[in-house]
Amino acid sequence: MSTVIVLTPIIIANWPVITAVVAAAVGTMGFSAVQTTETQKIAGTETTREEIEVDNSDILQNAEGRGEQIVVEREGLRATFSRDTRGTLRVCMEGRGHSKAELRRIGRELVDRVTQQYVYHRVITELKERKMHVVSEEVAEDRTVKIHVRNW
Amino acid sequence: MPREELEIEIDPSGKVTARTIGVKGPRCLDLADFLAKIVGREQSRELTGEYYEEAEHAREHIDVKQRW
Repeated sequence: MSTVIVLTPIIIANWPVITAVVAAAVGTMGFSAVQTTETQKIAGTETTREEIEVDNSDILQNAEGRGEQIVVEREGLRATFSRDTRGTLRVCMEGRGHSKAELRRIGRELVDRVTQQYVYHRVITELKERKMHVVSEEVAEDRTVKIHVRNW
Repeated sequence: MPREELEIEIDPSGKVTARTIGVKGPRCLDLADFLAKIVGREQSRELTGEYYEEAEHAREHIDVKQRW
């Protein structure tokens, strides 16, 4: 070994990339993307809400400056990913019969999966640009992704 | 083209731990810098045996030249 480096991820991407990453990542938690017109039914007086800000994120504004929202749902739970005016990624969790703490825990797990998916996508894309190829890849029991790459 | 080899771990929160393999001397820093640029903020970096092995080899080379 020559160098061991530990890196904290920062999500820097435009909205289409975020949409693709969210759609791919949340499926592993049983969520799926829904159209905006389908989202009315979950709202109600008993609904609990919790907002989560993804600190290490910088989402680039698209040309139109609108449509920067993706809604995913699972059995009475809804997560709305959006870009705020400062360009930070936010997740609004909503659900009936869930405490705020529970919504926060699920929301944090969603954010983690999105971040991991984003990092994986970025690393693989950039390594290919550097003419490096994947020799092996595995997902450990704790969901850590292990990749072995080389350029020969 | 110089050989480059890496082991990368992406933990469930997206944190990355990467180890260069068989890349001696400052060239392994290039690879580490490349990863830092695409992933995010550097939390820690440790130089291990092979980096210093190469540096030591270069120093010995200079010593020999100086004797002449």
